[in-house]
Amino acid sequence: MNGKTGKRNSLLAAAWILIVLTLAVAGAPEGRAWAGTLNYRLKWIYNASVIGDLYASGKGYFRAAGLEVKVRPGGPERDALRELELGYADFGVASADQVIRAVAKGAPLVVVAQLFQVNPLQWLYRTGKGMIRKLDDLKGRTIGITYGKNDEIIMRTLLAKAGIGRGQVEFYSVRLDYTPFLRGKVDLWPVYANTQAVFLRDKLSRAGEETALFVPGDFGVRFVANSVVTSEKLFKRNPELVKRFVGALLAGWKAALDVKHQKEALAILRQVDRDTPLRILKTQLEITRRLVMPRSGPPLGTIDFEGWRQTERIMLEQGQIKAPVKILSCLKPML
Amino acid sequence: MLPRRIYQFFLIYLLGILVLLSLKYGLQLSDYVIPGPKTLWQTALEVFPRYALDVWNTLQVALIGQVMSIVLALAIGIPGRSTTWFGNFIKAAAYNVQAYPIVAIAPIIFILLGDGFLSRLLIAAMICYFPILLTVLGVMSEPVADVEHFYRCTGRMRWQLEVKIRAFENLHKLTTVIAGSATLAMAGTIVAEFIAANAGIGYSIRIALYQSDLARILVALLLIGICLSVYQGLLEHTGSLVKKAWTGSA
Repeated sequence: MNGKTGKRNSLLAAAWILIVLTLAVAGAPEGRAWAGTLNYRLKWIYNASVIGDLYASGKGYFRAAGLEVKVRPGGPERDALRELELGYADFGVASADQVIRAVAKGAPLVVVAQLFQVNPLQWLYRTGKGMIRKLDDLKGRTIGITYGKNDEIIMRTLLAKAGIGRGQVEFYSVRLDYTPFLRGKVDLWPVYANTQAVFLRDKLSRAGEETALFVPGDFGVRFVANSVVTSEKLFKRNPELVKRFVGALLAGWKAALDVKHQKEALAILRQVDRDTPLRILKTQLEITRRLVMPRSGPPLGTIDFEGWRQTERIMLEQGQIKAPVKILSCLKPML
Repeated sequence: MLPRRIYQFFLIYLLGILVLLSLKYGLQLSDYVIPGPKTLWQTALEVFPRYALDVWNTLQVALIGQVMSIVLALAIGIPGRSTTWFGNFIKAAAYNVQAYPIVAIAPIIFILLGDGFLSRLLIAAMICYFPILLTVLGVMSEPVADVEHFYRCTGRMRWQLEVKIRAFENLHKLTTVIAGSATLAMAGTIVAEFIAANAGIGYSIRIALYQSDLARILVALLLIGICLSVYQGLLEHTGSLVKKAWTGSA
């Protein structure tokens, strides 16, 4: 390669870099003016956990509040919080640990409502080996955890609380399929009480096996689940719009979980989840109702400040964040 | 060849990081969306030794998986070259297996082989073998008319000889696709670790994804890239040595 060709190649490479950079910046989203359709990114795919969101959209609650809202499903590869900062979404659903982790890295977020008052993340187990009435009963069991996810943090907190050491329980790394649990290789399996637990319990009950749920909240660990989040920018620039959105959303949730509207709610669920039998959907809806609107609990949408404080403390203790993030300052209830 | 490959990878990686950082500072994004240089550096210091071992673990599986896939592709491709009923049957089975998404087959693999090393290996081999199979089928189905005619006329043609002639005539194609399939073997192993394993860099990336930790993912990508560049470079070198030994020229 002679000097001239080398120079030409370097120029060509520099031109390419410039083109790529220009395209990247040009393709990035600009700040939204919040006119037109609002994007609402859910935490998970459409199922009973998002019935209120679907109901608010399908039954015109957003439209009645003068809003055009596009409800988009979430999933493992989607991150509502990232989309909020990038401007792809205006509102999103995330669990407290996700929010705290994002705030710890400087994400400007505001939590405006809390959907689940009781965390649906629990552990399913067969009662054959005895009921788990105290944390000590976990000793000697094989516990499924998803390394890196919030169930790992919760379980480690519970074990630390009970002074249960490494050798006293065995961990099993949980993946997509339930085979290890169904085959009895794992004693406790992390599930969402209102979705996976329902069909797994149904399956096992038909096989003559009795099951129960291990609920971390019963042992004093309140780890906050699905909450509605928006960007600090939108919250500051247009609080009225945020208020209208939260009002319409919570009205939708309230109606969806009202026994009077069960038929309509089930019909909406059926449209997005054709494979789950109706009786399972009905049970899922009933359990969701108890988690979102517990009988003696606070009003729908209430932000559990103590729960958030505890979640932050647990994450700090477990080394998930390096320093306190003062999460309470990000909680702005819009009820 | 090897240093050039690594240098080119670094150039691509740095360009990628530069694009991300331009976006970060251009749009004033937080470290949560795109980590800054300081976070990247700190994360690299924190996870580099562990991730290096993870990548090494993945590479070992990828290597065995690639050898398996070459054997598998040859085992299917050689009988599959014929236009007999059996040849067509083998081809149909091989194509169908490839058409199924690996995540749908994974539970069956777990039931049969558990969730450890063997599952990773099998999934890696399944992802990697198809392009090799296509090349083997293409090469083996194409007669080298002049040479084969001679052996047929002299009555000395056997199937082993036919395979040797066709492989020799298309040595460049075969070595190129084998070197190229290293990428697929690595990708296949990482996919397997994503869904099936408790070890390897794919497993570590899965955990980083759960925690939305892009800095860790970028460090993992750097290590995967370096590892793959070295591996591919060595494969290409081995390929040229084999060609030299067979043909007497590089």
